[in-house]
This record gives sequence, C-alpha cells and structure tokens, in this order.
Amino acid sequence: MKMLTCSRLSSYFSSSVRWLGKGVAVLWVIGAVSVQAQQLDQPQKQPESAQAPVKWVQAKDLPAEATETGNSKEKSGVISTALKWWRSTDRPGDLQIHGFVTQAYIVTSDNDVFGNSDKGGSFGLTEAGLNASVRPLPKLQISAQVLSRRAGEGNTGMPRLDFAFLDYRLYSHETNQFGIRVGRLKNPFGFYNDTRDVAFTRPGILLPQSIYFDRTRNLGLSGDSVQLYGETAVAKLGTISTQFGVWLPIVSDKDTQLSILGAIPRGQLNREVSYIGRGIFETNDKRLRLGISGIWLNTSYDPSSKSHDPTGPGAFQFTPIYFSAQYNTERWTLTSEYAIRHLKYDDNFNSRVLNGLNVYGESYYFQGEYRFTPRLEGIVRYDVLYTDRSDRDGSHWASQSSARQGLEHTRFAKDITVGLRWNVTPEFMLRAEYHHVNGTGWLSRLDNPAPKDTEQHWDLYSILASYRF
Amino acid sequence: MNLLHFSIRIQLSKHCLLKIRACLYLALSICLLAIGTEVRAGGHYEIVINPGVKERILSSNTLRSIFSMHLKTWSDGTKIRVFVLSDDDQLHQIVSKEKLNVFPYQLRSTWDRLVFSGTGQAPIKVNSSEEMLARIATTPGAIGYLWRANINENVNVLEIK
Repeated sequence: MKMLTCSRLSSYFSSSVRWLGKGVAVLWVIGAVSVQAQQLDQPQKQPESAQAPVKWVQAKDLPAEATETGNSKEKSGVISTALKWWRSTDRPGDLQIHGFVTQAYIVTSDNDVFGNSDKGGSFGLTEAGLNASVRPLPKLQISAQVLSRRAGEGNTGMPRLDFAFLDYRLYSHETNQFGIRVGRLKNPFGFYNDTRDVAFTRPGILLPQSIYFDRTRNLGLSGDSVQLYGETAVAKLGTISTQFGVWLPIVSDKDTQLSILGAIPRGQLNREVSYIGRGIFETNDKRLRLGISGIWLNTSYDPSSKSHDPTGPGAFQFTPIYFSAQYNTERWTLTSEYAIRHLKYDDNFNSRVLNGLNVYGESYYFQGEYRFTPRLEGIVRYDVLYTDRSDRDGSHWASQSSARQGLEHTRFAKDITVGLRWNVTPEFMLRAEYHHVNGTGWLSRLDNPAPKDTEQHWDLYSILASYRF
Repeated sequence: MNLLHFSIRIQLSKHCLLKIRACLYLALSICLLAIGTEVRAGGHYEIVINPGVKERILSSNTLRSIFSMHLKTWSDGTKIRVFVLSDDDQLHQIVSKEKLNVFPYQLRSTWDRLVFSGTGQAPIKVNSSEEMLARIATTPGAIGYLWRANINENVNVLEIK
C-alpha cells in the first residue's frame, strides 16, 4: 500500500515538477528582490542589541536560530515615521494598529478555485485586513477589524466588518482569567478559524478544506455574539482556556444560501439564535495542545412573498463537533483535527431533496510542519472530506437519481498537500504549494456551477506573498 | 515496527532501490538536523520592570502568562505593558526558551491569534537594548528583558521563581 502511494505520488510529482519549478523560480526572484530592498534600506551600522555580551552569545549554540545578530532594521523616510508612530505606546489608550495584505496565484489542472484557475491560472485570491485595538481602561479592550477578500464568485473584495467588540476582564489573578465579550466576534472553532484569513497564521495557502470550508466560510467565520471566556491553570500541567457564545449567524451571502438550499433562493434565510463553544488545553510549555469545539447553528427559510416561491419555510440545523490536537517541538509541529458534522433539515422545505434530510458528514486531516531554519518551513498534509459518512464513495447518493450518475466525486475529497514557506523577514512571507485532490466535495458551487463539468482527479499549484505590520 | 516493514520492502523491490535510498538519505539528514544540542546558560540577562511596578517576585507561569499577553494587569490593577525585541533577536530567543520555556515561534503564533481575532494585543516591539532600557524606564507598568551589562538604576530587576 505504501509502495503504491509512493509510486502514485512520484508520478504526480513528475507531472508537476515543471509547474513547481516555475513557481519556485518566481518566488526566488521576488524574495531576492525584497531581501535586496531590505539591505538597501538598512543603515550602515552594526546591530547594537547584543553588542556587550557578544562573545558569550557566539559561544552559545542555538541550532535552529542561527540567524544574524540583532535586528535593528530601520526603514527610512515616511514609512518608518508612520510605522514608529503606529508602534509607539505614547498614544492614548495603548492604541495598536495592525494589518496584512496577501496575494496568491493559483493554477489548477481542472476545476476552478478562486477564479478561472484552470485556464492558465489566476490571481483570484486577494486578502487584506486592517485592525485597531485600544485599552481605555486596564480591564477593557475594544477591537475592530475590516476585511476585504476577493476570491472567486463568492467574495468580491467588498470590505466587510470582520469583528468589532468590547472585551471586559471580570476577574484576573495570575494565570486565572475570566471575562466577557460583546459585539461581532470571530467564531472560535478548531485551531485556525479565528484567524483563517491571515496568511501568516494559517498552515498553507489553503486551509484544510474538509474542516475550514472556504465555500461556506462566511457562515462559520463570525457572528453577532455575547461570549464568556475563561482561562485557568490546571495543577502544574498547563492551562485550559474556554469560550462559550450565544450568536446570530451571518446567512445572507450567496455561497451560504447555495450550500444550504442547493440553489439561489428567491426568499431569504433567517438569523436564529445559535451557540458555539470551545475548550483548549495547553501544557505550560505549549508543546501539547488539545481542543474540542462545537457549534449549534440554527437558521430557517423565509419564502419570498412576491414571486411564487417553490421552496417552503423549512428549518435547518448544523451541529458539528471538532476535535483538535497539536504537538510542537523546536522543528516539528504535528497537527490533526477531526470533525463530525451533523446537518438536519425539517419537513417544511417543499422539496423532495431537502425535506427530512439528515446527514452526518466527516472530516479529518493530518499535517506536519517542519522548520528547516526559522526562515524556511515545509508542510505536508493529508486532508479528507466525506459529505455523508455512511456513503463515503457517494454511490448510494448517485443511485437515487439518474441525473446524479457519474457525480459520485462531488460527495468526497481527498487532498494531498506539500508546500514551502519562506519567512523572508518577520513581516514578509512567501509560499509555494501543491495539491493533488481526488474528489470535488469542497469545490465552490458558485465557481463551478455545473458539477458535470468538474473532474474527479485534479491538481492545484499556488504561490503566495503576504505582508503584515 | 513500521520502519522495519519499510526496509524489508525496500530489499524486495530492487528496481526502485535507488529512489528509495535517496528518500532515506533525505529523511536521515532531516532527522540529524532535528537533533540539536541545548546549552544552558543563565544569569547573563534579567527580566526588568519599570520602577513603579510593585511586584518583586513572579512565578514562571505568571511570567509566561504575561509574555503570552493573557495576563493584562498587575496585582494592583494597573496595566501591564510588555516590550520585546525582534523575533530573530538572540536575547529574545534565549529568554523565550530559558525563562518562558516556549519556542519563539510559539509566542509569535500566540500573539498573532490574539491580534487578528481581536481578543488581545501584541507586545510592543523595540529595536535595540538601548531602546528597551529607555522605554521600560519611562513607561508605567512596563516589563521586558535586558542583558545584565545593559541594565542600570533606572529599571528594577524582577526575580522569577
């Protein structure tokens, strides 16, 4: 079996070497240029931060951290002044401003991901965010972020309010904290959802799609919510941090409606009270992290009163549970997450397909990140999605109607990913990634409107550049 | 056990011996890279605070909670302001590993999670020991770290137990 996988992998590689070669060459050029630029910006002076004890430092052997001493890189001119102002603490209320800009280039062999990627590639994925936070009182923080995301038909790049909330610390003593957050909040599930749009924080250009669907991302991303949170020390082992929220999901976008109802509806989905919670245990050295999260999402359909709406006023429930585990060493980060996703429709949708539909989906991935140096990281991942865990190859689903014949592959996706990350500077990062996917289970239906035109076996190549401050 | 199986298979399939040998060399060299030697040396640096901060002793868990940006106030209710050097600065890396017992990349990802989900703030980055000293001396509630040679009477040293 292993041999089989090996030989299949190597055949994928040989066909993809050409593309990867091109990608790496492009990355190298971009990186080299930006390093040059950095060096030009750098004033002609020695780093001073470690001058005094420099002999001792050299005697010390820090294997993975063999980078240049100190970091007194200063950008000249207006940008430097602006950055200094941004980073200064002297502004009232400890105002901080951060942001990021990301651009990816994606080529697929077949099927579209974030634009027309299978006809010569596309620059279809652009992400930019700007956030500000203040602490007017020691226990009160106010934060807000505006996010623009351009990605295929589902995201036009129109800026939206990603989060904006008050965070009040009700109790705080050494390693025990307890507080409340009110406003629009990022949904805490899994290890990555809270910061999924920030390329620096996610493992790879694409997140594991089986769990972090980009197709229905807005539904899971953030919501208007009241959240309680706590953090408490567990003996001398580590800390448990928990979050629990009551929220109203955002269900107004097309991708979400299409995913839930199977077609763009004439009426609209209602926001109904939903719940979310997450607990993460972390050892003191942060080496082992274990998490469990759950969502109980409710929405219902409001048929259009003007036109004759074929869809009835049904109710829909989505209740996934996620298990997460991560182990960190100096060079390795091993991560795995598993989700079981329960979707339930009631009998009022007036639709033979949706009425009474009750499905358990299943998702998991295994991922290894390896830091060759603090600057250069590699990633390997195997990610699996089953739309219906009792019908993993989609054969039962396809046998129910002649129109579904040959579309079994829309019911699963198995994605092998390899990638490289190069932290050119702490603020600038480049990435290259290759995916071989068997199945089309997580493809956006807005980008791929006709399932019969999609291919079961396909490849995706991508490079990405991201800057943050 | 798996490795054993794997090596048996290698012997059986001679036609792809070369490829697999290359893979094994790669894996071996990666493993060797991973084995690093840790040299311990303390006492050349200190955790320093603004003279206005009342604390004199902190547990290492509380210190980690502060540098992880989770604990936001001193015991008297005033704001904690954390100062750090760049991620690739050697003093930062030593303090991170020896005093906080976490790798610098873990601190970075903790801070990024807080900043980009809005649930916390990042520490304030300074560019040199001189700047660290000056900012800690003048910022109420400030905490940071310095080489012993750079410490003067304008800041207090915090004892970590």
